[in-house]
Amino acid sequence: MINNKMGALASCAVLAFGLAACGSSKSSSSSSGTSASSGGSATVSGAGSTFAAPVYQQWASSLPGLTVNYQAVGSGAGITAIASKTVDFGASDPPLKPADEAAIGKNGSPAVQIPMFLGAITVSYNLPGVPTGMKLDGKTLGDIFLGNVKTWNAAEIKALNPGLTLPSTAITVIHRSDSSGTTAGFTGFLAAVNPEFKSKVGEGKTVPWPTGTGAKGNAGVAGSVAQTVGAVGYVEQAYALQHKFTYAAVKNKAGNFVSPTLESTTAAGEGVTVPANLGIKIKNPSSPKAYPITSQTFIMVNQDLCKAGVPGGEAAAKGLGKFLAYGLGEGQSILGQADYAQLPAAILEKSKAAAAGLQCNGSSIGG
Amino acid sequence: MEAASVPGGGRSVLGRSPLARLPDRALRYGLTALAGAILALIAYFFVRLVGEAAPAFERFGVFGFTFGSEWNVNAEQFGALPLLVGTLITSALALLIGVPVAVAAAVYATELCPVRLRTPLTLLVELLAAVPSVVYGLWGIFFLAPKLQPAEQWVANKLSFVPFIGGGLVTIPNYFITGLVLAIMILPIVSAISREVMATVPADHKEAALGLGATRWEMIRTAVLPFSRSGIVGGAMLGLGRAIGETIAVTILIGNAPKLSSHLFEQGYSLAAVIANEFGEAQGLHRNALFAAGLVLFVLTLLVNGVARGLVLRAARGRMAQGTGDGGGEAGARLAETVAGA
Amino acid sequence: MSAHGASTQPLSRFAVSPARRRKDLLARAAILAATLLALIPLVLIIYYLLRKGLGSWSTSFFTTDPTGNTFFKNSNIGGIKSAILGTLEIVALASAISIPIGICVAIWLVEYGRSSRFASVVRFAVDVLTGVPSIVFGLFIFIVLVVGTGSTYAGYKGSCALALLMLPVVIRSAEVILLLVPSGLRESALALGAPRWRVIFSVVLPTALPGMLTGVLLAVARAAGETAPLLFTAGATLKTNFNLGQFTNSLPVQIYNDVISPTTSVEHRAWGAALTLVSIILLLNVIARLASRRSRLG
Repeated sequence: MINNKMGALASCAVLAFGLAACGSSKSSSSSSGTSASSGGSATVSGAGSTFAAPVYQQWASSLPGLTVNYQAVGSGAGITAIASKTVDFGASDPPLKPADEAAIGKNGSPAVQIPMFLGAITVSYNLPGVPTGMKLDGKTLGDIFLGNVKTWNAAEIKALNPGLTLPSTAITVIHRSDSSGTTAGFTGFLAAVNPEFKSKVGEGKTVPWPTGTGAKGNAGVAGSVAQTVGAVGYVEQAYALQHKFTYAAVKNKAGNFVSPTLESTTAAGEGVTVPANLGIKIKNPSSPKAYPITSQTFIMVNQDLCKAGVPGGEAAAKGLGKFLAYGLGEGQSILGQADYAQLPAAILEKSKAAAAGLQCNGSSIGG
Repeated sequence: MEAASVPGGGRSVLGRSPLARLPDRALRYGLTALAGAILALIAYFFVRLVGEAAPAFERFGVFGFTFGSEWNVNAEQFGALPLLVGTLITSALALLIGVPVAVAAAVYATELCPVRLRTPLTLLVELLAAVPSVVYGLWGIFFLAPKLQPAEQWVANKLSFVPFIGGGLVTIPNYFITGLVLAIMILPIVSAISREVMATVPADHKEAALGLGATRWEMIRTAVLPFSRSGIVGGAMLGLGRAIGETIAVTILIGNAPKLSSHLFEQGYSLAAVIANEFGEAQGLHRNALFAAGLVLFVLTLLVNGVARGLVLRAARGRMAQGTGDGGGEAGARLAETVAGA
Repeated sequence: MSAHGASTQPLSRFAVSPARRRKDLLARAAILAATLLALIPLVLIIYYLLRKGLGSWSTSFFTTDPTGNTFFKNSNIGGIKSAILGTLEIVALASAISIPIGICVAIWLVEYGRSSRFASVVRFAVDVLTGVPSIVFGLFIFIVLVVGTGSTYAGYKGSCALALLMLPVVIRSAEVILLLVPSGLRESALALGAPRWRVIFSVVLPTALPGMLTGVLLAVARAAGETAPLLFTAGATLKTNFNLGQFTNSLPVQIYNDVISPTTSVEHRAWGAALTLVSIILLLNVIARLASRRSRLG
């Protein structure tokens, strides 16, 4: 009997203790985030794009003394996070809309978006006997994903691949079922080159697919394609290359059929118009060597981080400066190891300039 | 009896000093305050979410949103009907498949199982609860769904005359596989609660039935199950709550196609899945629409629970009218009434 | 009892007719079949988990933090130490919040509230909470405690989201069990002159405790395996952290992030982590059951 009274009292005590601990730690969390780790290492927090997550984590682990806590919650949530000062930087694949720029700028310092690297979107297929590099152009691709082209030996595909023996297997379209920047990049390309696709389906992170099965995430699409003979789906380059998928060579604007290699992905960024706010959007690029289905990713910050009141404070601002300097410098050269593509020189220079322009209460943190 | 010592110090209750009554008062008021605080928290929860959802309701109207048949993010057209239907179908499936199996397992564990096997069996069923939902989703989509697809196609072909089930192409992610995995996920909770409830059936009820010559099954049917009915319903309600609100597993298994699919083996969408799927990338009106979908879920759970309580209450009143006589029956009826929130 | 006479009097009214015997056997077979059916998915899932996850297990798997070092082919991607510790911390705090509160509310509902209007309202509110998707709890805490207070992610905020998730399960299952404590027990204790609080703590609770333990363990198991509430609240980090006021890693979030990674070794780590999570929850279950002395009602 006594035991149970003790038990009840004990649980109340634990509860009280827990709440008290919460109370004390709550006050410490609103102050600088560097206090926890010893020895002057900086902690930077970020949130956003799932596509960029492995890269930022790799860069962070290559920099001793810097801890980057990155939440891969999605580009949209990343923009919300930086706008509400939940994190020190945000990450997004699509460039900022004017409303988002204004929301971030409301924190007391204008928004700055910095292109960081590029990634291609491959068209991966499962056709035993057909090697990598089947030629497809935007119009045919659009027709496939509209459901107009139903078998692999259809006339349109045959016309592009006279040298290949194509089976009569039915085409199973696999698309993303979750909202994603990969869908946005892929549909952006299709909408640019196939007018029927543009009017029927449109472009965006989530579109009303007229045909096909939905799978969640790159892994889901990849898995579905691997499991279904005759399937075709769009998969991030890093995923496709690392898992050795068979993918198509897509016809670019200049008329060349290009495979998604790291070089052709970087080439896609060449000649792209760079607006003043660096909000580039790669859509059916014009460079002859370019792989046409390529997308970019950004880091978003306030120009003066400390003035904007980021949670990590001055230490985080300095840490972010180091992080950006590394990422835009040596970090670019290691991207290839994990099958991500570097920025082309022209854009890289502009990114570096933007990063150098970041400040903390007026004094520069960049470089 | 006055000379007998009683806990509290050798006086009758009526003679207790106000000081001695203090702990009782404190407990009563404390607990009431706590219940009120929880109610306030839940109300605040509701209010906050309504606040976030309001712009969507303003734009489409409450009914327009809830029963709108198109969920098109690009066109900023948000109607929750396909999601609602998906939630209903998968949860109904989960209950239909999961509850009978769970109750059967509970019956076996309490009545028919050799005593030595009881604890291991219990632990095994509860092990199902230890598996995280993301693992259920991945196992479902990479292992179970492909394995079951041929069987599903066979059923669809054989039963092609049946309107909802037959005659179509079976996709790997579909309503059925989602409902099936949800059934597996709710098994442990329904089974565990049913088991606990069945274990409290007074032994004399059971022995009376057996003594009258009932077979094992008849004893279960007449003595155990009726007594446990409201408890089982309580467990099933918890299971249903889990099924309605399950997010990650559903979003992997249902295909996330925002359309009103015409049959069981096609892809669909659910209210919980849409939130998980699209929140990361959603902004503005889309975000408000997602919160509104969450609210529709609330109301759905409310309605379903209300119906369940009503059913239980009706059953209890019925039993009371029949006069199950002894204190056990009265307690059972009071129990049912209380559970039904009369 | 004349049942003893059944064997010498084949026509005794206590003899079981063949039809009834058949029904009995059929029903028992069906129940056994259903039970085995319930166990099949378990075997399949455990086998799948073992096949995919056991390969990742090693001492360093449990004792090193995950690194972000996933690019280089032979690099050390680290283990899941911070995720394990984080889950234990976050779930412990969530349990410390929700279990006492949940049981107290259940006690109030059964002992004091009964069929009053106020109690019905509370019951209803709790019921509604059971159907809320786990992500919505996370979003609520995100709106209130993260964006609302203008602060950043923290482990305890994840605990709050999980506590909200656990609360209705604890309340509801505790209520079901408490209602089954025979009123006779309460009444005899009261008749002996025990004050109300004594009756609750010394008579009702101990009788109900083993049953309530089941509901509590189920709530804890659910909380330990949920990803969505933690995604927007607890903050992802790779480092071990004993201060819940900061970003705290957890197994479900680690699994969720790893499983979508293009790097194969990271994906394997996800499965190893999933297996670890299941094992931890199972261990908790076993320990709790061993520690509680089983006493059945009735």
